[in-house]
Amino acid sequence: MPTSVTAARQFLTEEATRALDEAVAVARRRSHAQTTSLHAVSALLSLPSSSLRDACLRARSSAYPSRLQFRALELCVGVSLDRLPSTKSVEDPPISNSLMAAIKRSQASQRRHPESYHLQQLHSSNNNNANATGCSQTQSILKVELRYFILSILDDPIVSRVFGEAGFRSCDIKLALVRPPVTQVSSRFSRAHCPPIFLCNLTDTVSGRVGYNLLFPGHEDGIDENCKRISEVMAKKSGKSPLLVGVCALDALRAFTESSTKGKSGILDGDLAGLMVMSIEKEVNELVNEGNEEKLGLKLKEVEATLEKCNESGGVRGVVLHFGDLKGLILDVVSGDFVSHLVLKLAGLMEVYRRRLWLMGAADSVEIYRRFCDKFPDIEKDWDLQLLPITSSKSSFDGAYPKSSLMRSFVPFGGLFPTPSDLKGPLSGRNQSIPRCNLCNEKYEQEVDAIMKTGSTVSVADQYSENLPSWLHMAAVDTSKGEDVAKTNAGESMLSAKVLGLQKKWNDICQRLHRTPTFPKLDINPSMSQVPIVEGPQFSTDLKQRSHGDLSVNESLFPNQSPSRQIHMQKKFLPRSTASISCTSEGRNMNFHSGLHMDVPSLTQQTNKDMPWFHHPRQSLSSCSGRTHTSSSFIPPVTTDLKLGAIYASTSQESDTTKLLNHKEHLQHLSSSVSAEFDANSETTSYQFAQSSSCSGPTSGEQFDLGDYKSIRKVLAEKVGWQDDAVNSVSQAVSQLRHRYQSSRGINCKGDNWLTFLGPDRVGKKRIASALAEVLFGSQECLVSLDLSSQDKVDHPNSIFECEELNSYEVISRGKTVSDLIAEELRKKPHSVVLLENVDKADYGVQHSLDLAIRTGKFPDSRGREIGINNMVLITTASITKGNKNVICEKKGMKFPEERILGAKNWQMQILVVSASDDAGKSNYTGVRVTTVKEASAYTSANKRKLINAVESSELEKTDTQEGQHKVPRSSCLDLNFPVEEADEDDTGSGESKSELLSESWLEEWLSQVYKKIYFKPFDFDGVANKIVKEIRLQCERTVGTGVALEIDEQVMVQMVAAAWLSDKKGALEDWVAEVLGRGFAEAGQKYNVTPQSVVKLVACEGGVVKEQAPGIRLPGKINLN
Amino acid sequence: MGYNLLEALNVRVIGSGDRYLLLAHGLGTDQSVWQRILPLFTPSYRIILYDLACAGSVDPDYFDFSRYTSLHSYVDDLLNILKALGVDRCAYVGHSVSAMIGILASIRRPQLFSKLILIGASPRFLNDEDYHGGFELGEIEKVFSAMESNYEAWVNGFAPLAVGADVPTAVREFSRTLFNMRPDISLFVSRTVFNSDLRGVLGLVRVPCCVIQTARDVSVPASVAEYLRTHLGGRTTVEMLRTEGHLPHLTAPALLAQVLRRALAR
Repeated sequence: MPTSVTAARQFLTEEATRALDEAVAVARRRSHAQTTSLHAVSALLSLPSSSLRDACLRARSSAYPSRLQFRALELCVGVSLDRLPSTKSVEDPPISNSLMAAIKRSQASQRRHPESYHLQQLHSSNNNNANATGCSQTQSILKVELRYFILSILDDPIVSRVFGEAGFRSCDIKLALVRPPVTQVSSRFSRAHCPPIFLCNLTDTVSGRVGYNLLFPGHEDGIDENCKRISEVMAKKSGKSPLLVGVCALDALRAFTESSTKGKSGILDGDLAGLMVMSIEKEVNELVNEGNEEKLGLKLKEVEATLEKCNESGGVRGVVLHFGDLKGLILDVVSGDFVSHLVLKLAGLMEVYRRRLWLMGAADSVEIYRRFCDKFPDIEKDWDLQLLPITSSKSSFDGAYPKSSLMRSFVPFGGLFPTPSDLKGPLSGRNQSIPRCNLCNEKYEQEVDAIMKTGSTVSVADQYSENLPSWLHMAAVDTSKGEDVAKTNAGESMLSAKVLGLQKKWNDICQRLHRTPTFPKLDINPSMSQVPIVEGPQFSTDLKQRSHGDLSVNESLFPNQSPSRQIHMQKKFLPRSTASISCTSEGRNMNFHSGLHMDVPSLTQQTNKDMPWFHHPRQSLSSCSGRTHTSSSFIPPVTTDLKLGAIYASTSQESDTTKLLNHKEHLQHLSSSVSAEFDANSETTSYQFAQSSSCSGPTSGEQFDLGDYKSIRKVLAEKVGWQDDAVNSVSQAVSQLRHRYQSSRGINCKGDNWLTFLGPDRVGKKRIASALAEVLFGSQECLVSLDLSSQDKVDHPNSIFECEELNSYEVISRGKTVSDLIAEELRKKPHSVVLLENVDKADYGVQHSLDLAIRTGKFPDSRGREIGINNMVLITTASITKGNKNVICEKKGMKFPEERILGAKNWQMQILVVSASDDAGKSNYTGVRVTTVKEASAYTSANKRKLINAVESSELEKTDTQEGQHKVPRSSCLDLNFPVEEADEDDTGSGESKSELLSESWLEEWLSQVYKKIYFKPFDFDGVANKIVKEIRLQCERTVGTGVALEIDEQVMVQMVAAAWLSDKKGALEDWVAEVLGRGFAEAGQKYNVTPQSVVKLVACEGGVVKEQAPGIRLPGKINLN
Repeated sequence: MGYNLLEALNVRVIGSGDRYLLLAHGLGTDQSVWQRILPLFTPSYRIILYDLACAGSVDPDYFDFSRYTSLHSYVDDLLNILKALGVDRCAYVGHSVSAMIGILASIRRPQLFSKLILIGASPRFLNDEDYHGGFELGEIEKVFSAMESNYEAWVNGFAPLAVGADVPTAVREFSRTLFNMRPDISLFVSRTVFNSDLRGVLGLVRVPCCVIQTARDVSVPASVAEYLRTHLGGRTTVEMLRTEGHLPHLTAPALLAQVLRRALAR
């Protein structure tokens, strides 16, 4: 809650109040809702004889003209203020929380510093009017003095970032504020006045060196903490060979050796000065992996020779021998001999040169060290080892602070600035605040260097401007352009453009990879988002001028990089989907990054958006064009432009058509800048683009990537071969989804990650869902599957399906609702495919939650907590088959309806051999018969009466549930033509309860909300059954002999059909028949005297639970014999 | 020297007992977080309280950005405090980041600690290939940028999340201490913490540990407690608290005290 201005005033001294009033005035002028620290900074800078300005003047590095840098600062502040949303003008914009917090902080720090406060007064003749200070102390409220006010405003991260952009370090400014301006020269380093007390001064563990590092947060050559600790260990008398332990130990070790070979100060100095680091890491690796002992021997000789030469006076005083990862030494790939030889050798060296030799290594975890110790019990003494826990690989500096002036933050297409009314917001907003991180900066510099070398005419001015912060750079470029466009030699401007291009590239890379989160922050306000549409033409022409060079740079730059990118791309994408290779700039760039950062585990994690799974091509455009035009020099320009489209042009509000338009514009613009040949090409691409949109089906004119669609379809079809239509429409829907998300960057699009699978074939639905999970999220594990109906379902004991199901409803009992359960699952797997089965049977609470979820994009649980579901694909299923007559007609004559199959039990099977005389009526029958349960039980002998009863009752139960299952489809499809038999049932089950009606209407509404409905065909159970019967008969004939009658219990039949339905592998059932059943038949044939009069029966052992499962299929691994 | 350190980190020793008990607070809080636990233990223990250098109650000038780049500096502080107080053996109760600090300290000076009680501890917050720390790198970066852009908004959003259980006073208290920290410091420390990875060194701990984990903790998944139990070198027990949130000492002090007492008695 903002504080009113008057309330804030009372905390401030007169002078500070003036500054605050000025800030409020600034906010009012800009009609901002609140007065923030930025306003305060703006006000402070504009004040006459401003102490902040003064401090900046003293703090700034002398490399640049002060006028320029101040102008840069003003610009930065101005732009940051521009980015704040404006509202209706308020009389006195209240003080924002952050500014109020700053005031509070300054109060506290003033309270802490009474002495320096006085000290300040002594020195403060010029910039402190200090007349109000006297009375302030006497009052009850401590009034904040301007200086402290400024100091704490500078703490505000936004402010320090703005300063950072202009090339100031806010800590420098703070220091300059704290130090009175008496010692003008090198005041930053003088510690004459009130040296701040730091803990490091207080403790005596870290002595000496630390003192110099005071007050330089984000210091560039700040010594890595790890290195420091390593040196500490090495400086000890005994136990001086550090063995780094920890997950990041190896990194730390490398960092240490690297920086010590570079001769960085503070690592090997003092007592450790003059040590030489030698590494046998590579040799050890070779020894362990290939048994190559020679090289190691040579290297060790070299080490020994060096040690020999070591002397106390000058030169190399000792050797730090770095043997790398300890894991290598316990692996024992080749043989322990080499390793123990090496260990002994090193121990020997240590023995002789104890004072001049340090060993160094790293181990992932203590366990590895322990194992090593087990092998060589005396190692700790022999090698003089000291364990050193390492807990972090890099210092926290990275990225924690914006780098100072030299970070070269930059603005692309700088020339747009002269017309500040247009485009300024989105363009500047994006890049200016994002400095690159170290790594990217380094790469960037390398590339710049490379370009500089190749560029023949490099003017000093260019180099200079390149070193300036963005705004200065811009200004410089601007002036040069303005003054002598004609005169400027072409090469020069080319070069600066190249540099710009590079900067942009690395900024983009860096921004995506390392500072990704800054991105979403930049939501451009609505008016801005319109800009690209309205001013599209102008924009692109402008762009053409500015980025002409830019494009060509890319052209020349990318060819040599594209191979590597290709490789990464393939590596990343091949396992998933082949078509993804033809991905857009985005995917490409990211892959490229992944090349730089192999430690980033998967692509999905790199995407900076909330939508990790929608990283796929956002336009078919580029893939198409990529295909039609293969020259690598062509693609990069597209890259640039698509990025433009992605970042600026497509904020959510745009319609697809405008997007299309935009792309065309880009293309045209491209074509003019690249080549005439491309012109024609661009036509075709956009044509293709349009085509693809038209072929996307009746639901909408949306575009999607054909390649993506195909790859998804392929994967799905592999899993569920029998549902062609459904597979087609699912993959179409998903690729559209992906496309949409890619283009709109996941903003809005409520409810379009919901699909509904309708119709029969439960297993097929589930299989598709899990395949989708694999396609979209990389693993089948990313599937959350819940059956919403299982609450009122009668539990089938020993069902063949039970292993598949989440036995969700057992968990619920403890006062949880189904919604809670779902929410919990969703929370566990935030990126997943969610399969909610039988949504038509969901209870009211779940319905409500689902409604909310589809509307708001958040799934609420019963306690009102919400889980964001935008990263998921949610699939609901219902067994109703709307308007699909054919399906139902087929159902009529079916021997094995799905409900029957779903009731399949996982019984043990057995083979009975009866002589035909028992059953005279069937004696001359020599084919295969499938007997129903009742018949089968009639055959069984009388002493199994009890069992039969059980069977019958279970049968009854089954029909009951069958009816239960019929009920809902019946009630929800009243308007449909159900087959006669179903309609009959309808008559008998008189009327529906109100709740059913309600749920029916809910379902209809629900179905109208989901993004896409996909109808499934019933699985062809009868066909499968016939095939099985045929298989078994063949098998029987082969093993038992021809002429034997075979009877298969229907229950067994159902079981086998169900198993076939469930099995992932094709032909799994055939294998089972051949192996398990074949073995059973053979055994039966041996045991009994099978005559042509015998009847071989395959029946289920009622109540006999399967003990061993056959591999690959859910059927018993062994058949009992009676 | 030592005196100054004690001063700077607001070290307090209270209570009357023959054994020392050190209570170390976690990130975003300060020693006041133990307030409600304190009276239950003062009769039987001499309790050492201190603030981490990053806490809001410590003068931010003491916070040296170039020094506190890893947890080891905090360990230095802790060991120095104990040295300055002349403590040669104590039981250690550490919450979140202090749990990490305690682990590292006990590796360096195993004899100093009779027992480690780790509340809401995690050897590493980020997920890894075969380790679930509860945070993805991307998420964390998002959080950091949220902190950077608007600290207060972040605090107001984060505090209820961390507290977890519906205890408004706890939320208020946590927000207060969290907000006391200077934004840049808390950002810096958070980065330090998230950069840390103690998994490899857990085996070096020899001191018996007790890991206290609440039923649901936004920062630490339950699997982490199990991970700690299997990987910590000493005799380790895990106590599940039947409450929610990352700050049981704020939300359910009585419950926690019970468990603490039990753990200390063992």
